[in-house]
Amino acid sequence: MKIENTKAQMRKGVLEYCILGILSNGDAYASDIIEHLKNAELIVVEGTLYPLLTRLKNAGLLEYRWEESTSGPPRKYYSLSPQGKSFQLELKSTWDALQKAVEHITTSK
Amino acid sequence: MNKTININLGGIIFHLDENAYLVFNNYLKAVKSGLEHQESGAEIIADIEARIAEIFGMRLKEAKRQVINESDVEFIISTLGKPEDFSDNDDIENEPFTSKAKDKRFFRNPDEKVIGGVCSGIAAYFNTDVVWIRIIFLILFFFTGIGFFTYIILWAAIPEAKTTAQKLQMRGEPVTLESIEKVFDKFGAQSKESGKKIKSGLTGFFEFVTNTIGSIFSFIFRFLGVMIAIIGALIAFSLLIALLGIFGSTWSFTNFDFININGHVLGMSGTEAIFGNGWRLIALRFGTVLTLLMPLFALVVFIAKVLGKEINNSRLLSFSGIASFIMGLLLIFVSAGSIVTDFKESATDTERNTLSGTHFDIKAEFLEENSGFFFEVDDEVLRIENIRFNIQPTSSNEASLELRHTARGSSHSEARQRAQNYDFPYVQNEEELQLSEYFNVPKSAMWRAQNLKITLFLPIGSSVYLDPSIENIMYDVKNLQNMWDGEMLGRTWTMTSKGLSCEDCPEIIYYRAEELEDEIQDNIDEELEALEEDIERKLEELELELKRLKDR
Repeated sequence: MKIENTKAQMRKGVLEYCILGILSNGDAYASDIIEHLKNAELIVVEGTLYPLLTRLKNAGLLEYRWEESTSGPPRKYYSLSPQGKSFQLELKSTWDALQKAVEHITTSK
Repeated sequence: MNKTININLGGIIFHLDENAYLVFNNYLKAVKSGLEHQESGAEIIADIEARIAEIFGMRLKEAKRQVINESDVEFIISTLGKPEDFSDNDDIENEPFTSKAKDKRFFRNPDEKVIGGVCSGIAAYFNTDVVWIRIIFLILFFFTGIGFFTYIILWAAIPEAKTTAQKLQMRGEPVTLESIEKVFDKFGAQSKESGKKIKSGLTGFFEFVTNTIGSIFSFIFRFLGVMIAIIGALIAFSLLIALLGIFGSTWSFTNFDFININGHVLGMSGTEAIFGNGWRLIALRFGTVLTLLMPLFALVVFIAKVLGKEINNSRLLSFSGIASFIMGLLLIFVSAGSIVTDFKESATDTERNTLSGTHFDIKAEFLEENSGFFFEVDDEVLRIENIRFNIQPTSSNEASLELRHTARGSSHSEARQRAQNYDFPYVQNEEELQLSEYFNVPKSAMWRAQNLKITLFLPIGSSVYLDPSIENIMYDVKNLQNMWDGEMLGRTWTMTSKGLSCEDCPEIIYYRAEELEDEIQDNIDEELEALEEDIERKLEELELELKRLKDR
């Protein structure tokens, strides 16, 4: 069992929640989302994100519209759908509970 | 100066230099091949392409360049990640991207081929070194010829491994994104070292056969090509055998007997008997040597190629091979053509010797080996068996033997000279006339379609016994019984004014009886006819008599 794999699994588990979290603060381009996630060191390469965004969009959690760009082709401007918003809230409570539980288990002796 | 290639990413045109294009193209293809089987794969690919266009655009703007170079592509790869990073996480754990698992398939290997990549494909399938497979095929080819046809059939039947997936299947490796990536990494690294060299291998490296019509056409062309190759190879092979025959017969090796017809050997002396020993033989020898050089060169190059050796100056080698082949053929044609003119004119020498006696026992010296070939070489003479023996009546009182020897030559005088130059051995010992089945001409006279007609002239009343030993020289001897030459043997014949007649044939009795029967039948017919006429006449008379009585 490699430590890298385990780390990657942990990050991947929260990735969807993080994307929804970023969008709950306001609409964003794919590159903005990537930028946030990269800064937080949740992802290393961008390639991982595109299939994920498409999957969330297909699940009806995300919506997007096209925006003109000065530096390239038109870009997708993502936002949360109403369904995505409730999904995000539900995940948030799960995450908070999980975080507390994990913290409690790993710190208390 | 560098070549650039234009690509269209998300509706924007970018100029890529050649090396950047090679790496980028393969990268994008590897990424696509991992995504296109997923749900909404096309959409994801479009997103990624748009993102790449964005990054390219930014980098060009920052660096104030117009052409994408390799460092830009490397930046893209490090930013977006390797092809395996693109697959959706859940999918990769439950169902790794695999096309029908580990089944091994037969493919021809286009990356390691000498002719069609059949051997290297087999080697990949059985996971052995290709050299062994090639050696087996070569042995089968040279000793049985099976190898040749097997190869052709396999070549036509087995598809070539065109895509990376097929190449992996050829070796029995699982077709996963990672294994494709491995191949990509390998070639990507090579392309940096020698971008040009690898280009032909890389373009179309990941291409899947989508155009069915194209592939059907390519199969037809390949099939036609294979057919032409087979026919060409067969022609070349038979030509080679023929040349080896000439070669063997023009240069005397000890006991070299290549052309062996009915147990008869046409060796060096046989060739000399036709080509003489002047310039024509020399031309023939050099011609065959020169002509043989090309297949020899080809064989050397082929074997070297099979063993994986590069031959320097292979172009010079093939050029000189072709040149010597043409020169050689010319020499052979000139030599053979000049032989043909030696058969232009014909002349006959006639000799007639009287024989004493009124009865002859005709025998012939029997040759031990009867070849049926034009001639045989016996030390310094050519033994020719072209003899026709006939028997005819003569008004003279004495029997005689006529010998008519005909020969050919480039001029009439040459033909005449050659016609006089022969020896037919025959002996008369009292009643016995011993002929031979052959006549001799000196080797220096060469074989020029010589033939001998022997005629025995018999006075009327004299008789002859035909021994079975003369069977081979008898030629359409006329006789009253109209018997075949073979039937006439072993019997005694008497010369009549009309021709030979058999004395001790049982057939002759039948013949006479038949004649008698015909005679009797003729007589009966005549008598019957006379009777019929008689009756008719009498009837007419009676009718007249009756008429007269009625009138009264």
